[in-house]
Amino acid sequence: MLFDELVITIMKSINLERTLSAPYHIIKGKKSGQTIQDIGYYHLHPYFALMPKLEKKVYDQTVRSLIDQKYIRFNEDVIDLTEQALAMPIPSSNLNGWKYRGNEMIFFNRLSLVVQTLSHTSQSVNKFDPIDNSDVIQAWVKRYLKAIQFRKLASVSKFKSEILDSLLAVALSDDHKNTLMQRLSGFGRSGMTWEQIADVQGIQVLDAQLRVIEALHAWLEVIEEKRYPFLHAMKVNIVELSSLTESTRRTEKLFKEGYSLAEISSIRHLKSSTIEDHFVELAMNDPLFDYSAFLSPELYGEIIKISQAEQTKRLRNIKDKVPAASYFQIRLALAIREDAQ
Amino acid sequence: MKLEELLHQTYGFTSFRPGQKEIIEQVIAGRDVIALLPTGMGKSMCYQLPAYVLPGSVLIVSPLLSLMQDQVAQLKKMGEKSVVALNSFLKREDKEKIWQTLNQYRFIFISPEMLVQPFVKRQLEQLTISLLVADEAHCISQWGFDFRPDYLRISEILPALGHPQILALTATATAKVTNEIKTYLKISDPFIYTHPMDRKNIAYDIKRFENTGEKLQWLQEFVRKFEGPGIIYAGTRKKSQELAALLNESGISAAYYHGGMEHQDRIFVQQQFQNKELEWVCSTNAFGMGVHIPDIRHVIHYQLPTSIEGYVQEVGRAGRDGKRALATLLLAPGDEGLMESIVLEDLPTKNEIYEVHQSHDPKRLISDGIVRETAYRVVDYWLKQLTVEETYKQIEMLQQEKMKQAGKIKKLVTITSCIRQYLIESFDQELDQKPESCCVNDWIDYEVFELRNETGKKRDLLSWQNRLNALLPL
Repeated sequence: MLFDELVITIMKSINLERTLSAPYHIIKGKKSGQTIQDIGYYHLHPYFALMPKLEKKVYDQTVRSLIDQKYIRFNEDVIDLTEQALAMPIPSSNLNGWKYRGNEMIFFNRLSLVVQTLSHTSQSVNKFDPIDNSDVIQAWVKRYLKAIQFRKLASVSKFKSEILDSLLAVALSDDHKNTLMQRLSGFGRSGMTWEQIADVQGIQVLDAQLRVIEALHAWLEVIEEKRYPFLHAMKVNIVELSSLTESTRRTEKLFKEGYSLAEISSIRHLKSSTIEDHFVELAMNDPLFDYSAFLSPELYGEIIKISQAEQTKRLRNIKDKVPAASYFQIRLALAIREDAQ
Repeated sequence: MKLEELLHQTYGFTSFRPGQKEIIEQVIAGRDVIALLPTGMGKSMCYQLPAYVLPGSVLIVSPLLSLMQDQVAQLKKMGEKSVVALNSFLKREDKEKIWQTLNQYRFIFISPEMLVQPFVKRQLEQLTISLLVADEAHCISQWGFDFRPDYLRISEILPALGHPQILALTATATAKVTNEIKTYLKISDPFIYTHPMDRKNIAYDIKRFENTGEKLQWLQEFVRKFEGPGIIYAGTRKKSQELAALLNESGISAAYYHGGMEHQDRIFVQQQFQNKELEWVCSTNAFGMGVHIPDIRHVIHYQLPTSIEGYVQEVGRAGRDGKRALATLLLAPGDEGLMESIVLEDLPTKNEIYEVHQSHDPKRLISDGIVRETAYRVVDYWLKQLTVEETYKQIEMLQQEKMKQAGKIKKLVTITSCIRQYLIESFDQELDQKPESCCVNDWIDYEVFELRNETGKKRDLLSWQNRLNALLPL
């Protein structure tokens, strides 16, 4: 998937309902109520937090070029895709942003330093400039290397064959795998900068970066499924146990202890709108979420009916038809997982 | 034990590099030392080895985060494990751990702004510090090209540390700056080691052009004609990118390097340069630290450098192997004005001084973009010592000093006498002997520089299996 395609794919789901900057917040992984809810409403989990370091000005450039290429019509309020964009097929992808949230790079940084070390030590070179200068990664890799007995050539060759086998099992193009491998370096073997890779492949820097993220997500799934011992050990602690944000987890705890929304808001010194965001996030994530404290089953049914009939998830449109419901109730109703009911 | 034996036992080297032994002897003898050693001459050995003789820890104050990281990396690369770096980028939980074990480290690196924090001061008080190293000590000079106000406060911590012995290290310092180092670090009777600045194997060339187009054309011809490796210093990040693109278009393998790139990309460019995959690196002044390539044949300044000190440091990256190298400075109309504006750019403006003076929350001014951070640090320092009127005057004086600095560069490109001599005398040293191939105003032997024979290799991606085999060939 190219970066342009990623942006259009997200835009298709929220066309005419959200602003041009909404996809940016999704790709960057903004942990605000609005973005988290959009992920749930529009099923955008694969694309959440793919590029936590994405700069707004870079994203804006992409949007401008999509307008120039007549994929997007100029519209001050909402995303307004042209026929050309709507007709574009959505490329298949095994992205899983919701699960990895940018942490796949922790796996990759560990891998980079391990491969660089093994490449040198297995060729009897003991000094080199480490590719990663973070103390955390270096300390982790030191422990890992010790644990796998890295001085033994048998370990290195087992490690290498795990990479070979697992990557063969990854159902992605060789372009993806070549790009990934070119970002690793070793003794006498330099890595290539994003720009150099993009030049060689005739793509943009963002495309090359997205390629590596796609490759990592797919690869990590294979590693998890087949339990390659050396590689599986390298992905510890990169997937968050619960997909809830930290603050939401605290709200959930208080709610389970019996506090009301207003009480939680005052205990936590947070605005009640923030606590509302937390409940919407809970509703999205927890199939067993009990909404009865906030919403009657009748009102819930009415909101869902309107949303489906009008084909919209825009709050204002729904509110016009169901004036009895508050915005919070509408958001909550839309967030409740369909499989839960 | 003899020092050579200690050196061999500890780090596996059989001999000292020029200057190291004299400095280390004096440090071990308990004397304060100011050492002027060019970069790449093994400055860090001057405190590394004494650390094995002195009873306590060595505290190294390092002004630049990137420099600190590089030094820590270099020390670790030499097998030194007892190293810790304290800077504001440490995570809180890491800091906690470090405080508890601080007394176990032989080498403690610290940034000057952390050094004076009361909490840090209390932690350091409990240690035995045998030696305080002020690295890049020229940063202490208010008149220097690299002034860091926090550096002036090193002296505040000396009583808390029980007045340890001091080693001030710098690559470039005039007699004036050396005196400032003495004053601010309260060193009364130091041993001063001055390494001869002159690098006989480097010839100094200047090329003048009618306009930028001619300059670019000359550059393209030059890189096609001569064999690298070489560095082209550009004034800005953008220019470094443009030049690299231009070279690549002419079939030369080149890459750009600047502080705005992500860390891994920077390391990859270094790797490529080290592995001889690149002929040229087009760079801002960020390139050089952490790069240890002995056979750089050419350093070209595409734009005028902003100080003599900076120029000498950058040129000094060429010819570390002792073989002949060429430093070429390119000059077109307008370059001097551009250089002057860059020189003055960092100075606080009158408005910035006023804003900081008025504000109750000056940090806010930085985040709001009203005052630049570099400017803030300087203004904040002076406003604590002086009234606002005096601060205006102080900054005006600083401006004049900066213009003098720029004037020295302008003189460099206008004199008709020997450039080598001019550079050496800028550091209050005397030129003992001129090499035959000396500078554009005397004579330069271009014949010794190898002509380019290879055509730039086309870069391509290996298949991932082949690449894996290349990385782990077993």
